[in-house]
Amino acid sequence: MAPPIIELREISKSFPGVQALDRVSFEVREGEVHALLGENGAGKSTLIKILTGAHQPDSGTILLRGQPITIPDTRHGLKLGIAAIYQELSLYPDLSVAENIFMGHQPSNRFGVVSWRQMQQRARAILHELDADDLDVSRPVRGLSVGNQQRVEIAKALSHDARILIMDEPTAALTQHDVDRLFEIVRRLRARGVAIIYITHRLEEVFLLADRVTVLRDGRVVGETMHVSQTNQAELVRMMVGRTLDTFFPKDAAEPGEVVLEARNLSYGRTTRNVSFVLRRGEIVGLAGLVGAGRSELAQVLFGITPAESGEIRVEGKPVRIRNPREAMALGIAYVPEDRKLQGLLLRMNVRENTTLAVLRQLLRYGFVDDAAEMRLTQEYVDRLQIRTPSQMQQVANLSGGNQQKVVLAKWLAAKPKVLILDEPTRGIDVGAKAEIHRLMNTLAQQGMAILMISSELPEVLGMSDRVLVMRQGTIVAEFDRAHATQEAVIAAAMGADALHTTPAASTTLT
Amino acid sequence: MTTETRAATSAQPSRLLSALRTQEGVLFLVLVVIVIVLSLLSDRFLTVNNLLNQTRLFTETALLALPMTLIIISGGIDLSVGSMLAWSAVMLGFSWQLLGLPLPLAVVVCLLTGAIGGAINGALIAYVRVPPLIATLATLAIYRGFSFGISQARSARGFPEEFAFWGQGQVGPFPTQFLILVVLIVAMHLLLARTGFGRWVYAIGNNELAARYSGIPVERVKFTLYTLSGLMAGLAAFIFTSRVTTTRADAATGLELDVIAAVVLGGTSIFGGSGSIIGTMLGLVIITLLRNGLLLTGVKGDATFMVIGLVLIAAVLINNLVRRR
Ligand SMILES: Nc1ncnc2c1ncn2[C@@H]1O[C@H](COP(=O)(O)OP(=O)(O)OP(=O)(O)O)[C@@H](O)[C@H]1O
Ligand SMILES: [Mg+2]
Repeated sequence: MAPPIIELREISKSFPGVQALDRVSFEVREGEVHALLGENGAGKSTLIKILTGAHQPDSGTILLRGQPITIPDTRHGLKLGIAAIYQELSLYPDLSVAENIFMGHQPSNRFGVVSWRQMQQRARAILHELDADDLDVSRPVRGLSVGNQQRVEIAKALSHDARILIMDEPTAALTQHDVDRLFEIVRRLRARGVAIIYITHRLEEVFLLADRVTVLRDGRVVGETMHVSQTNQAELVRMMVGRTLDTFFPKDAAEPGEVVLEARNLSYGRTTRNVSFVLRRGEIVGLAGLVGAGRSELAQVLFGITPAESGEIRVEGKPVRIRNPREAMALGIAYVPEDRKLQGLLLRMNVRENTTLAVLRQLLRYGFVDDAAEMRLTQEYVDRLQIRTPSQMQQVANLSGGNQQKVVLAKWLAAKPKVLILDEPTRGIDVGAKAEIHRLMNTLAQQGMAILMISSELPEVLGMSDRVLVMRQGTIVAEFDRAHATQEAVIAAAMGADALHTTPAASTTLT
Repeated sequence: MTTETRAATSAQPSRLLSALRTQEGVLFLVLVVIVIVLSLLSDRFLTVNNLLNQTRLFTETALLALPMTLIIISGGIDLSVGSMLAWSAVMLGFSWQLLGLPLPLAVVVCLLTGAIGGAINGALIAYVRVPPLIATLATLAIYRGFSFGISQARSARGFPEEFAFWGQGQVGPFPTQFLILVVLIVAMHLLLARTGFGRWVYAIGNNELAARYSGIPVERVKFTLYTLSGLMAGLAAFIFTSRVTTTRADAATGLELDVIAAVVLGGTSIFGGSGSIIGTMLGLVIITLLRNGLLLTGVKGDATFMVIGLVLIAAVLINNLVRRR
């Protein structure tokens, strides 16, 4: 087998109050996909930021092709052929695909004038290698699907002639179809000898894609790097969380109570059309559909972000008007949004301020924030969701991706809603915490909460839901109870009957 | 759990250091240096009389800087404060001298004028959704226009003796307006740092969309902030009029620059989301003392402007360095 192209030896890195990496050794070879696993906050992103030059290690050495090197910044890292696609995409929405690909190193003539024609040609050539000829290099990135944006990110990495490509949870926000395409690209790059570090919380991907796997826990390597053929999912989970864990969705059969929320012929623009459904106390209803079917848009109508233009909403039998989130909250509705950075978090504020934001009014005494009560409430949710943070005063921006997601969940659970709308609640969350959140949803439903869950992971929808609603083109096209909600039935409904006949790969195209 | 205890122990020895690492800490050091240098340069500088006197000039700017801090933290800006002050002052003189209102009532008119001016800003920004920079740039011109139109370029004067109490009088050793200011500083600090409203202000400046999604009444908060800014401009107008015993339409021209400079020097992010009243007050004290001290040491007015500009840049640089370590 090939010698390691890059090797980390005894790398340590700490942040105030956190030992993010503790003497981690790790290596990748040319032409291999090396999976990096670990719980939220285990240190995965920190490790790759050290490789790209975004962070400097406190101690330890980095060897590139056997030579010790330092990587003072990411520009330098790129020059060495180390590129990363981060957890959050970082494209400039108003610039074109080609400009994004060549951001910072545009092909130019000797007077420094950017050569647009050359840039577009080269962009097209790179995308061709990725089998993404369908992307128009002159259109702006804004409005591209997440899958396409990611292809642009990969093209950007390749434009630097990356020999080491790092992917941090690349599939977290992708549809199944895009995941399949991504895998194709990854295999293609591997065949070309690129060394790939692949971070994911979806263990099945490890076995589909990776050659070797390394597990981190609390900043340390657990055991040693293994070939994927030598291990299995259960073992990986045990290594990640330090104990055996039942990752199966623990949904109990529920006895749905009376109707809490009823929608009648709700419409908004073109995205929500004549939607009617009911939600009962104590039940979890899954909302399935393809990306663009209007699931998040429906949630935003219910939560008053884009109030319904026509139709009726009833809460506990009474017709209500929901014109803004405040009115929705007053009626006991909460919404955990899809995009935590944009819609969920105050990144530069701390864990406590974020957790209590939606219930701050209840923590006021004569207008003043009751510190002790606020601290108690926050601690309750930090413990309950196992949010990994050195203290409640930590800036949310410094938390790992999965822990940020938990903070958003905490904010809305603290509101103790009657109706909880969850939009991709477990995106970026590790297996252990995911099972924990599912257990929590189960308990909340048992206590009488009605939960509407949007999820792009079909197993999650099928495993957790008492009923499944399927949306297509802005309207609800099918409803299944738990017994009848099979993968095939849901997919068929989401695609529409005609599409099923024409698309052979239907089973993989559902989001 | 283990990480938490680790955090607690490692935080102990560096508490002093981390206090100095804040913008307030840096400003405090800068202030100490300035006081030392100026008192070496001029023996008239570090005298109780001189310093107390400074607070008279300082108060009007400070009154405007208090709400400005909140506004900038919320991600906005109010350029019209100087104009609102002038308009309110003119209304005071006008309603007293020309309309013949009793003086206390004229003062109420003055405060109301400011509040209305601010409420108009607030309505434009919060409900019509005009960007704050544009809205208040427009009203900066419009309110100034009102001042000239209403006063017809005449100044009101001849206020009764007892009216001077608010701008020239003393309570014990302290100038009257200084005591008013102290009360308001404490109130504003508490409002921003300890109340739910203050938390909302930070939240809006941090991520307005997330704030909205969390049920914060974003429009109402913004409207309140700009109205408060107007009301404080009215109060500053009243104290200003009492101090200079005349109301002129060109009063406080360009004052918004001093106010904004103080807020930014005080460490409030011009992009919103962070800042404090204490920082703003330190920033303002530095600017005021520099002006006064340099004047006392014989530096010409134009040069003091430059020095203040340099201090502004230096403070931000030092802070950046210290923060990055
Ligand atoms: N800039 C920072 N300042 C302070 N602490 C940080 C910073 N970046 C990361 N950390 C902390 O370091 C630890 C490791 O974080 P990291 O982002 O590497 O986790 P991760 O394994 O990528 O987790 P996830 O799966 O949730 O993305 C966490 O406890 C995190 O809070
Ligand atoms: Mg991460």
